[in-house]
Amino acid sequence: MSQIYRKGILALAIGSALSFSSLVQADVVIGVAGPFTGANAAYGEQFWKGATLAAEDINAAGGINGEKIKLVQGDDACEPKQAVAVANRLVDSEKVKAVIGHFCSSNTLPASDIYDEAGIISITPGSTNPQITERGLTGVFRMCGRDDQQGVVAANYIVDTLKAKKVAVIHDKDAYGQGLADAMKAQLAKRGVKEVLYEGLTRGEKDFNSLVTKIRSSGAEVVYFGGLHPEAGPLVRQMREQGVNAKFVSGDGIVSADMVTTAGGPQYTKGVLMTFGADPLKSPAGKGVVDKLRASGYEPEGYTLYSYASLQAVAAAFNGAGSTEGEAASEWLKSHTVPTVLGEKSWDGKGDLKVSDYVMYEWDDKGKYNQLP
Amino acid sequence: MDGIFLQQLINGLTLGSVYGLIAIGYTMVYGIIGMINFAHGDVYMVSAYLAAIGLALMSFFGLHSFPVMILGTLIFSVVVTSLYGWAIERIAYKPLRNSTRLAPLISAIGMSLILQNYVQLAQGARQQGVPTLLDGALRLHIGEGFVIITYTKIFIIVASIVGMGLLTYVIQKTTLGRMCRATQQDRKMAQILGINTDRVISYVFIIGAAMAALAGVLITMNYGTFDFYAGFIIGIKAFTAAVLGGIGSLPGAMLGGIILGVSEAQFAGLVNSDYKDVFSFSLLVLILIFRPQGLLGKPHVAKV
Amino acid sequence: MTQTSSSFDIKVILRDTFMVGLVSLILFGPIVGIVLDGYGFNVEPQRVAIMVAVVMAGRFLLSVFGQTNKGRAWIESFRRNDGGVHVLPPGYKSNLRFILPVVILVAIALPFLANKYWLTVVILCLIYVLLGLGLNIVVGLAGLLDLGYVGFYAIGAYGLALGYQYLGLGFWTMIPLAAVMAAVAGAILGFPVLRMHGDYLAIVTLGFGEIIRLVLNNWLEFTNGPNGVSAPSPTFFGIEFGRRAKEGGVPIHELLGVSYNPNATMIFIYGVLFLIVLLVLYIKHRLTRMPIGRAWEALREDEIACRAMGLNHVLVKLSAFMIGASTAGIAGVFFATYQGFINPASFNFFESVLVLAIVVLGGLGSTMGVVISAFVMTLLFEVLREFGDIRMLVFGVLMVVMMMWRPRGLIRISRSGFAIRKGVAP
Repeated sequence: MSQIYRKGILALAIGSALSFSSLVQADVVIGVAGPFTGANAAYGEQFWKGATLAAEDINAAGGINGEKIKLVQGDDACEPKQAVAVANRLVDSEKVKAVIGHFCSSNTLPASDIYDEAGIISITPGSTNPQITERGLTGVFRMCGRDDQQGVVAANYIVDTLKAKKVAVIHDKDAYGQGLADAMKAQLAKRGVKEVLYEGLTRGEKDFNSLVTKIRSSGAEVVYFGGLHPEAGPLVRQMREQGVNAKFVSGDGIVSADMVTTAGGPQYTKGVLMTFGADPLKSPAGKGVVDKLRASGYEPEGYTLYSYASLQAVAAAFNGAGSTEGEAASEWLKSHTVPTVLGEKSWDGKGDLKVSDYVMYEWDDKGKYNQLP
Repeated sequence: MDGIFLQQLINGLTLGSVYGLIAIGYTMVYGIIGMINFAHGDVYMVSAYLAAIGLALMSFFGLHSFPVMILGTLIFSVVVTSLYGWAIERIAYKPLRNSTRLAPLISAIGMSLILQNYVQLAQGARQQGVPTLLDGALRLHIGEGFVIITYTKIFIIVASIVGMGLLTYVIQKTTLGRMCRATQQDRKMAQILGINTDRVISYVFIIGAAMAALAGVLITMNYGTFDFYAGFIIGIKAFTAAVLGGIGSLPGAMLGGIILGVSEAQFAGLVNSDYKDVFSFSLLVLILIFRPQGLLGKPHVAKV
Repeated sequence: MTQTSSSFDIKVILRDTFMVGLVSLILFGPIVGIVLDGYGFNVEPQRVAIMVAVVMAGRFLLSVFGQTNKGRAWIESFRRNDGGVHVLPPGYKSNLRFILPVVILVAIALPFLANKYWLTVVILCLIYVLLGLGLNIVVGLAGLLDLGYVGFYAIGAYGLALGYQYLGLGFWTMIPLAAVMAAVAGAILGFPVLRMHGDYLAIVTLGFGEIIRLVLNNWLEFTNGPNGVSAPSPTFFGIEFGRRAKEGGVPIHELLGVSYNPNATMIFIYGVLFLIVLLVLYIKHRLTRMPIGRAWEALREDEIACRAMGLNHVLVKLSAFMIGASTAGIAGVFFATYQGFINPASFNFFESVLVLAIVVLGGLGSTMGVVISAFVMTLLFEVLREFGDIRMLVFGVLMVVMMMWRPRGLIRISRSGFAIRKGVAP
């Protein structure tokens, strides 16, 4: 309990500090929005860890135009309703100049509208739904790829390397999972492979046996899953238990050590394939940051470095444009290349990364994932 | 084709017996005090955590043989979960015994939120899991196709039957069971006859929690993964099963669970798993339209 | 136990404290003390010690307090059972009737005082007031436990978003249309389930709400599934409130020649919503005094007696369902236009539960109570944001504590009494 207690005190302290922050406007306030409670709270924590370390480092290096960065947390719990409230709160009460977030695509969509309307830039470290940057908003960026890019990489790999003719496509009926599965399916169709099965499962359930039996009777050689690890784990386990030895391919939603725990051990995840950005932990630019986080006892999993890089991009844009004005910063970002912990990044007119670096990974028999050559 | 049908039947049976075990908690509580115990799904969730903690403790102390592990975990989980069931009743429902009908319902919803967030704060938001305990499967060849039944599934079905049998014995043959039945029929009369009904209600919560704990251990073994939110969906399904079978009836809860599980699996297999929940809810509505008291429930007699 | 003696019984206190300590040790020991980490675990005994100590101290203080005379009276106050509806004396005028003009004045002043964040929070409050008022008719007045209420809310919200996308229907057309659509859905649901009693009705309505959500989620071609659809902003005779005109209208700041005000959309939604809430409040107020309102309450109290008296119970229940549903439909339209984007995740079971909690906490059947508790619950949710992680835990605790403190809700339902006029036979 002591830890919880301390967290509560911390939250109170942050809360009271926030109410003061509106009086003292010397800092550049930047919001970090994502799920800090609820089922996806782990991802929110990754955002926060990455952003706080980035803020420390940037402040140590002189801050933004000589002013210090001050981070503000915005919890949306992955509920769109809360995302709108949080976004308005960040904009109006906290007077943020930029936002890192959100995580769930279904939250980023409505929230980014509010940020854009208020003329501040927002960078999402993890929302991959294509729609986010397709709506003609000027100040919306992302630090990750898009589902359609990711799906293309996976589909090409399935056709070229695995040489599969029968592919079953499963998704979790959520904006992220289904978007990914649809993008993969579209590319498969382009390459002349028609899926043998296309079905959704329900998030939060653990029994997919009937779906697995269906996969078995479809004779699929490859099963592609668009979704997150809480469902991917039991799905792959139940496949193996029912004797389905088809290759299991998924996206960046299963990038977590918990994938092994949920699947019931590394004997089940062995050989599982996934697409993910070129390993941020191995990027030479990020080595110092990774070491620093590990030294503090935190393993920089998943989106930690993406969040770090997002704040770097914001700082670079504000410094480059010479102001914290959204339109100027947005223009600057779209015309310059920013060195980040993830490497050199640049954005196109819509706010997408110019180069997506999705590559294939494979899980080994020790429960770790390695980039495929 | 027949192999597939049989496989789906087995999938449905395992799922259904798990629903049934949790549905017992709903149906007993409803039968005795007429309230929907919304926190029951989360009691199951707590028991899943306890099962994983029990297993982790066992392997830490070097106990690795399957019977010892499963028995130890079962006892540990059932005892602590029962205490949770008792404490919840004592804190959140007992003060509201003579209140309006909806007050305990709201209190139960509050309790469900408390349990979910308490576990999340204590154990973290991440997915948890247990290693596979019982490897291997039975492989039956039927014509062209084949059916695979993992040993874990056989264990689940057997354990549910044993659990149900034990419960039926307790309810039908023991003094405690008679007291429960008397309280269920007429609480005031039972009180007049010298039954401590408050204590009986506590026992009912303990029994319900113990069955949920059995389900928790079995499900944790079978699927190997759970989180603090796991009680929600399975709670709603189990509640549906309890109503389907006729709320207040023990065999009804088991029957409702199995019908729900099997029909879900068959629908997902034959038609589409996207709409399997729509199908099971529609089935529920249809059955209730033609049999408003559920399959095995007693018809509602209005007393004037 | 020692109820008659007025002296402290320290032994009982210590025994209670010890027992509670033991129980909480078993309860918290495994869950709080042993934190799972992959397949292993970390031990955190100090957390257990703190929790057990806190619980024991609490129990000790409670026991000591319970042994004082004041404490006994306090505990006794929980046992009393003040059931039933209480009838106000004839010609009773509430002391609170002067509040109404004040509330309206505050409401008018609000857009000029509050920033956008607080404006959105108040809009959300008003949406929940609408939902609460609608459900209050179904649950509070007619006594039909409805757990799928959010389905009607979804119909309204998706009505606006899809109606705009496919048919070009706007905000103003959809308000009455959503009310009608939701009412029809209410009738379709209500008709077959009227035979059912209490909790069977609850589960069927729960199923119905889930079916609506699942269909919205799965019917990709029509609803765009989990990706959601965007909903149009409101317009007023071709005037728009955004920075740039999106629907071919004129932005209001260009029309009036003033600088752009980012709050304009919200102020407009707020204004319309406030008027609608007032209207619904008035209709509700009249309905409860009309024969239909009396019939709802009579049916809640005793169905058999009502049918013996010749009330058409099907019609009475259906009307409650339909009026309740149509209110939710209107609330849905406002939610969609306020949110600007909706997806099925906003219409899950928890939302139904939240609205039900608002109704029960406010006091079943009490209009004033529902309005207050809708504000309290929504504001609480925002205020608790400061607590971060433990927000929902506190929310749950408050729900349980509220039910113990006021099992009948904040404001008890009351009915105005009437004096028998002189010269008329009783």
